[in-house]
Amino acid sequence: MADEEKPRPVIPKGEPYIKTDVISPTFMMQYDACTRCGECDKWCPVLDAKDGDRKYSPMDKISRFRTFMGQSYGLKAKIFGPKRLDEDDIQDFSDAFFHCSTCGVCASVCPAGINTVDMYEATRQQLVMRDNGPYGKTIMFPKLIGEYRNPYLKDQKQRLDWIPDDVKIAEEADVAYFAGCTAGFNQQVLGVCTARVLNHLNVPFIYLGEEETCCSSAIIRTGQPHKGDVPYINAKHNVEALEARGVKKVMFACAGCYRVATIDWPKQLGRKPNFEVVHVADLLADLIQQGKIEWKKSFDNKIITYHDPCHLGRHCGVYETPRIVLDNLPGLKFVEMDRIKELQRCCGAGGGVKAGISDLALDIASERIRDAQAINADILSSCCPFCRRNIGDGRDNVYDQQGSTNFDLRDNPENAMQVEDMIVLVAELMGLSTKIKAQEDEDKAAGVEAAAPKHLKDL
Amino acid sequence: MSEPFSYYSGIPSFYMMIGIAMIAILLFLLGMYLNMQKWGGGSASHFLKTFLKSINHEKLGHHKRQSLIITIVLDILLQRRILRRSPFRWVMHMLIFVGWIGMFIFSMIFAVFEVLHEIGMEINLVEIRHSLDFGNEVLGYMLLIGLVIAIARRLAISDVVKRTQMFDWVLVLGTLFITITGFMAEGYRPDAITGAWTFLGSNVALAETFALFHVAISLLFCIAYIPYSKYMHMLAAPMVILVNGGGE
Repeated sequence: MADEEKPRPVIPKGEPYIKTDVISPTFMMQYDACTRCGECDKWCPVLDAKDGDRKYSPMDKISRFRTFMGQSYGLKAKIFGPKRLDEDDIQDFSDAFFHCSTCGVCASVCPAGINTVDMYEATRQQLVMRDNGPYGKTIMFPKLIGEYRNPYLKDQKQRLDWIPDDVKIAEEADVAYFAGCTAGFNQQVLGVCTARVLNHLNVPFIYLGEEETCCSSAIIRTGQPHKGDVPYINAKHNVEALEARGVKKVMFACAGCYRVATIDWPKQLGRKPNFEVVHVADLLADLIQQGKIEWKKSFDNKIITYHDPCHLGRHCGVYETPRIVLDNLPGLKFVEMDRIKELQRCCGAGGGVKAGISDLALDIASERIRDAQAINADILSSCCPFCRRNIGDGRDNVYDQQGSTNFDLRDNPENAMQVEDMIVLVAELMGLSTKIKAQEDEDKAAGVEAAAPKHLKDL
Repeated sequence: MSEPFSYYSGIPSFYMMIGIAMIAILLFLLGMYLNMQKWGGGSASHFLKTFLKSINHEKLGHHKRQSLIITIVLDILLQRRILRRSPFRWVMHMLIFVGWIGMFIFSMIFAVFEVLHEIGMEINLVEIRHSLDFGNEVLGYMLLIGLVIAIARRLAISDVVKRTQMFDWVLVLGTLFITITGFMAEGYRPDAITGAWTFLGSNVALAETFALFHVAISLLFCIAYIPYSKYMHMLAAPMVILVNGGGE
C-alpha cells in the first residue's frame, strides 16, 4: 500500500499506537505462544516465493507484532507509557502482513498449535482500522460487495443468466445449491456442471437466484468485515433466505463459499444455520461408494492429481471425498503430488493475494504447477474456482518460462497440462454437456451441433 | 553455617531463600497479570473468562475436538506436534522440557520439606535430599544435553542461524548459565550422606556462594523472568493448545 501522501494518525500522548479491540484475548495470547522454532518458515508459500526474504517470514511477522504489543502494553509501557512507534515501521509490517494467502499451513505445522488464520484475519482488521491496510485494490471489496452484492459489479438479476435451458431447478426441495458469485458470473462452467450433475443424479435442488448474495469471503479474509458490516448482513440474508425455503442441506461446489458457510456464518450469526452444509464432493463420493454413479466416457490413460484448496482442506477438514471421486474417474490414474492434505502447498490466490498482489499469486501458483509436473500429471484438478483460475495462470506462466526448451508443448498445445475443477471432469465423464448457456446460444445461432469432446472415449 | 549438610539448597540462611523466592513469585505474578491484561484488551478477568470458555468451544467444519485428556497427554506433555515435524528437535526439546520441569518439581518438593522442618516438624532433610539425588543428577544432565544441542543447532544449522535473534539467545544461554552454576554448586557441596566432598573439591565458602548464586538467579531467571521473556511460551503454548483443541 505504502501511500506516502497518507496523513499520519494523531495518537494522543499515553495512548498505545496499535489498539487490540478486535483481536480476541486468545488470539492475543497466541502471539506469546510462538516458540520461534521456524517450522512455519519451512512451509510458507509466500516466504518461498519471496526467496526467503525475512520480512515475509510468518515467524518474524509474529515477532514484530509481539514486539509492538510489548512496547504498547508491557511492563515498561505501564510505567513510562506506551512507546511512540514509528509509523513507517507499522506500515512496513502491515504490508508484509497482507502478503499472506491465509492458507494456514503455518497453523498445521506449528508445534504450539497457533491458529494463525483467524489470528491473522483479526490482526488484519486491526491494521485496516488504523488505515494501514488492506493491500492494493482489495480495499474495494466492501464497497463493491456491499453495493452490488457480488464482487463482479453485476446486477443481481443476472444471477440467473448462467442457467441453461436443460437445467431443472425445483421450486421446493430438501437441497439447495449455493452457486456463489464466481460460478454464477465468472466461471459459469462450474455452476452449469454442478447443476447438470445434480439433475443427472436425480437430486432435486432449489437455487436462491436473485436472492443469493455474495458469501463475502474476500472481505473477511482481507480484514474488512467491519466496513459496513457487509459479511454479517450477507450471512444473515443468505441463511435466513435458505432457512425460509425449508431446505435441509445446502450444496456448495466453491471452496471459498463452503468455508464461509461452515465457519464464518456460525461465527457471524452466533448460531449454526438450520441446515447442513455439504460440499458436492461429499455427495459424489457417497454415491460412488454406493455404486450409484454410471460413467459414460473415459479418459485415455491420463495421470490426474489433486490440489487441496486451503478453504476446503485445512480450513474445513475435507480431504478424502474429492480424492475418492478423482480416484474413481475412468481412464485416469490418480497420483499424489508433493505437499498434500494438511501440508498442501497453497495455490496463492487466497487472503486477497490474487486481487491485491497478483504477481505473488502467480509465483506461488507456478510452484504448484512444478509440483504437478514432477509427477508428470496430465490433469491437475481441484474443487475451488480461485485455485482453478490461479493455477491455470501459473501453468501458463511456467509454460512461458519453459517455452524456449519445450517445443513439443508449443507445437502440440493439446499436450498441455489441463487444470480443471473436479465437477467439470465429473460432468464430462457422465457424458453431460459442459457448455455454458452463452456458448450453447451461440452454437444454436450458428447452427452448430454439439460434438462429444475429442479427448474422451465412449465406455 | 551451623548445619552445613542440612539444606538441600545449601543456602546459609533459609529466610534469605524464602525472601528471594517471594520476590520472584511476586514479579512472576505481576508479569502474568500484565500479560493477561494485555491479552484481555485491558482486563485480565476478561482474558480468563474467554480462555476458560474457549477450552470447550466446539470446532467447526470436519475437524473434531479431541478429549481434553488426550490433548494434555499427547499434545502438551508428550509434544507430539513437535515429534511429527522433527524427531531430532523433539528429543532436544523433551530433554530440556523434562529436565527443567522435573528439577522444578523436585525443588518444590524439597522446599516444602524445608519449610516444614523450619516450622518445627521432625524431618530428616539429609535423607530426603539423598533420595532425590539420583533424579536430580539425571534431570540435570538431561537439561544440560538438551541445551547443548539447542546451542549447537543455533550455531551450526544455517537456516536456524539465519532466524536466531537475541530473544532466542537470552533464553537458551541464560538457562545454560543457570544449569552450569547448578552443577558447580553441586560440585562444591559435600555429599549428603557421607559428608565427602564432591567433584570440585572442598571449599565451604565457594559452596555456599555458588548455592546462593544458583538459587537466586534460578528463582529470578526461571520464575520471575517467565512472563517477560521467551520463557512465556512455556505457559502460553500449552494454553493455546488447550484452546485450539490440539491434535496432530
